[in-house]
Amino acid sequence: MLSRLAESLYWIGRYLERSDDTARIVDSYVHRMVEDPFNDEDATCRSLYSILGIDVDSDEPVTTEQMLQHIVYDADNPNSIAGSLSGAFENARRSREFISSEMWVALNSTRNRLPQMENTARRLGPSQYLLFVRERAALLAGLIDTTLSHDDGWHFLVLGRSIERIDMTARLLRGRVLSEEHAPDWLAFLRACGAMEAFMRSTREIHNANGVATFLLLDRLFPRSVLYSLNLADTCLYEIQPSSQRIATADLARQSLARARGRLEFMDPADLLDQLPELLEMLEETCVRINDAVTDRFFGHEDYVVWSREGGL
Amino acid sequence: MASVTQVSMVFDDDSSAAWNEMFSAPGSPRPIYERLFAELGRYQPAELRQRSEQLSHTFSERGVTFAHSGEERPFPLDVVPRLIGAMEWDHLSRGIGQRVHALEAFLADIYGEGRIFAEGVIPRSVVTSSPYFCRPAFAVDPPNGVRITVAGIDIVRDEIGNFRVLEDNVRIPSGVSYVIENRRAMTQTFASLFSDHRVHPVDSYPAHLFTALRAAAPPNQSDPVIVVLSPGVHNAAYFEHVLLARMMGVELVEGRDLLCRSNHVYMRTTNGERPVHVIYRRVDDDWLDPLQFLPDSTIGVAGLVNCARSGNVVISNGIGNGVADDKLVYTYVPEFIRFYLSEEPLIENVETYRLEDDDVRHEVLGSLASYVVKPVDSSGGKGIIIGPQADEKTLAKTAEAVTESPRNWIAQRTVSLSTHPTLVDDGVSPRHIDLRPFAVNDGEEVWVLPGGLTRVALGEGELVVNSSRGGGSKDTWVLTDESIPLSESRVIKQRLRNFNFSPRQDGNVGRGDQ
Amino acid sequence: MNETLSLTIRHHTGFTYDGLAKSSYNEARMTPITGASQEVRHARVTVQPVVPLSTHADYFGTIVTAFDIQEPHPKLEVEARSNVESRAGLVAPAISWRELRAPALVDFFSEYLFATERTKLAGDVLDPLAEWSQISDLHSCVDAVSAYVRGNVTYLPGATSVEATAQEAWDLGEGVCQDLTHVTIGLLRELGIPARYVSGYLFPLSDADVGEVVAGQSHAWIEYFSGAWTGMDPTNGIPETERHIIVGNGRDYDDVAPLKGVYQGAASSSLGVVVDMSRTH
Repeated sequence: MLSRLAESLYWIGRYLERSDDTARIVDSYVHRMVEDPFNDEDATCRSLYSILGIDVDSDEPVTTEQMLQHIVYDADNPNSIAGSLSGAFENARRSREFISSEMWVALNSTRNRLPQMENTARRLGPSQYLLFVRERAALLAGLIDTTLSHDDGWHFLVLGRSIERIDMTARLLRGRVLSEEHAPDWLAFLRACGAMEAFMRSTREIHNANGVATFLLLDRLFPRSVLYSLNLADTCLYEIQPSSQRIATADLARQSLARARGRLEFMDPADLLDQLPELLEMLEETCVRINDAVTDRFFGHEDYVVWSREGGL
Repeated sequence: MASVTQVSMVFDDDSSAAWNEMFSAPGSPRPIYERLFAELGRYQPAELRQRSEQLSHTFSERGVTFAHSGEERPFPLDVVPRLIGAMEWDHLSRGIGQRVHALEAFLADIYGEGRIFAEGVIPRSVVTSSPYFCRPAFAVDPPNGVRITVAGIDIVRDEIGNFRVLEDNVRIPSGVSYVIENRRAMTQTFASLFSDHRVHPVDSYPAHLFTALRAAAPPNQSDPVIVVLSPGVHNAAYFEHVLLARMMGVELVEGRDLLCRSNHVYMRTTNGERPVHVIYRRVDDDWLDPLQFLPDSTIGVAGLVNCARSGNVVISNGIGNGVADDKLVYTYVPEFIRFYLSEEPLIENVETYRLEDDDVRHEVLGSLASYVVKPVDSSGGKGIIIGPQADEKTLAKTAEAVTESPRNWIAQRTVSLSTHPTLVDDGVSPRHIDLRPFAVNDGEEVWVLPGGLTRVALGEGELVVNSSRGGGSKDTWVLTDESIPLSESRVIKQRLRNFNFSPRQDGNVGRGDQ
Repeated sequence: MNETLSLTIRHHTGFTYDGLAKSSYNEARMTPITGASQEVRHARVTVQPVVPLSTHADYFGTIVTAFDIQEPHPKLEVEARSNVESRAGLVAPAISWRELRAPALVDFFSEYLFATERTKLAGDVLDPLAEWSQISDLHSCVDAVSAYVRGNVTYLPGATSVEATAQEAWDLGEGVCQDLTHVTIGLLRELGIPARYVSGYLFPLSDADVGEVVAGQSHAWIEYFSGAWTGMDPTNGIPETERHIIVGNGRDYDDVAPLKGVYQGAASSSLGVVVDMSRTH
């Protein structure tokens, strides 16, 4: 398929997942702030910034309003929810001949409704807005799975989604590891990942931090776990290889992926909490490496080419 | 019955000289409109308005928009459809087919042998002075002879009900996506209107275009790769490029996705480079190939023209077609029809005056306020001066420009375009309309999409209908008549038996240096 | 009896880039063409880096060598070698002004009567037009125009850039052969005499032996229509001779630029032009 198209689909996957995950994380933090009015607002917001990779220059205390503006509503910030949705939309515009009409309509109407959702959220608080984002993400995920052929393009999209999901889950856990006192508790994390019930059914141990981390990293069956996403990403990478090269040695992206998976799989779960900071850093680096390898290998199209007339004779 | 009163009442107000498409006299609809009139009469104006809002909502949700001054706008679709009867359509589509054949012959001739100059039908200087005459297109001969894969011939109806050609668009005519989307939106939101009517469907257009593009491919390609080349998401017609690529099942590419190497064209894919054989391009000549045209174009493909020259790829529509759109050349098209086809034109031009002739120019400049003056190279309604609606200052500036360079202007009689009842703020009122039918030439026959894009000027008395000037559109219904089989309403190719244009062998022959 | 001259010509040119050019697309118009006054025995264009070449004749009948380079390259070199037998063109008696102004003829040669951006002239340069149009013999008229141009625009290598227009050269009072040619063409077209730009080579006047290589030059002159196309060299004030080797003609320089192209990469500079010529017998 066209390299530029593949790149757009990959980024639709990433941006949609980013908007969904950001909504979930913000929701859990906002929830915590409401629950605990004595909580240090500035520190909590800064903790949230740090897990989303946002640098804050100013020493002025950060308010919840500012945090929401920055992480949720600011369409000019590609990492905010509005920014991610707008990124997904722009990429969908560039791949409109590939994606299904239903998917296009869903994305387009999501974008059209966002300003109104924002107005309401500014009056009544962000929870309806965040819920809307998650519902649209679920709708889109459904349409992606049911209205697109599961061909190369779909695999690029799901690859992007999986990479983003690994990255976001790692970041979420890192927030807890870095500044425990300002992060939501493990339970809230599970809720943020939509993993509460699945976790309860599989372990029935609510207050075991190690158990939660193990579940979110290593569960083979839960689709938001890191291991599950790594496996899915690997399947996608396998499928999009040129057919003539399927048997040949794995490419760079698959090598990084296999290393990360090996690290996770052959670790003693008992040591997980101790090794967590290191593991999470490794996972974030893996995401960057896979992203670069895929970009190099498959998206090698030109940016707009600038031509010059040759110098006069 | 309130709305019936309303619909007929505004007809009484229609005191202009224009032909009213729906009514022959106050309160009495023309025969083909009778059933629509009765059906519309069942709706309260408020209900019509509700449908109208529904239509525009559908368009926003589906992203049926065009970019205007940097913002994406839905193209307003009026709820009242425009009807064309079977007999009338038969005449129109044959007239359009005839015109496309003549323009094809003309382009093949001027980029080859130049017989028409030798015969004195059109002065050579009219062609060589056209800003669109494209010397790099010389001797780039399409394998199946088709340069005009798609034509959009703009048609208006004059005061006495005759169709006339207003202008030819054989470069990259756009708007067909609105024809398809208008119909889709109307059947979804206003299905009841279609009852009692047999309307020609419009969704076979992409299949016809695809067939024509396949037929245009280099002869040694049994399974040619076809792409749609778009300038990208910021182009006003990007929505259309997407729609056509999707409905034809071909790749939509931008210039940077393509690469020329040793006169072959490739697209960059995740599987490496893949050859391309037919490019349905929606990029203007000037931006198409930085080697031949504007060197700083970032949306073109360097080397493309020479690839086409070598026959490894076909560019569709052909490069250099703009000469045929030149409005001074337009004045000669009836002569082309007589010269190349030995036929009389089925659809006349609007009365047009060539301003290089001193007497004609003086005459026109003497009463400029009664003419429409157009730059020969404009499109989309840009730069047009409607004499009766222009102020003194504009007229004076126009007269000056015409005197300065008469070759660059033409004058036309101010045709009061026909009107059609249209839903506006204060009810249903007559508004001026035109028609852009789309013709597809696959080398065997010219097929005309039944209907086309009816554009409507939403301002009262406004004569410029272009979307860039705030116009809207109407779903256009060509009614089928059981007495006429569909196949006959198609235009069968009129072969150019006596004209066999071979490529010119010697670049100097015929320019008098022997 | 016309004197004939057999010449071997080597024309070398190209570009270097600050760094590497990523890819480039080019057209060379460097192959002499067979016509009434010359016969091309052999011609060959080569390009470094080595890439496939394709040739075609353009609208004006000039032979074009087109090629593209896809690997990064620090410089591009193009060399055209040819072997040409040349003789001076015959100058036939000219047609009258009245015949020249016949509508059919004016229309036929319209392209060589319109001013282009390069040849457009205005102001005092046009002062003698009325005077010239009184000269009944076309050849004499063209000679008068040419003398006027040579008298007012001094031939000075390097005086102008390749982009210069006729008006710029006139205002400067200096120019290269391309500029004198453009000014002359501009004036002849103002007079209603069809005129076109000729690109080619000039073999210098010399007593070089057969086989001895002398430095020739890339050159430009005009052809005007006087019943037939007649060659004339305004820079040297002489008719087209056997020492003039024709590559092609067009409305102005842009139609026959020896090498034009586009490339991706850092700034480029010209390698300059070297034309070596020698008599073969």
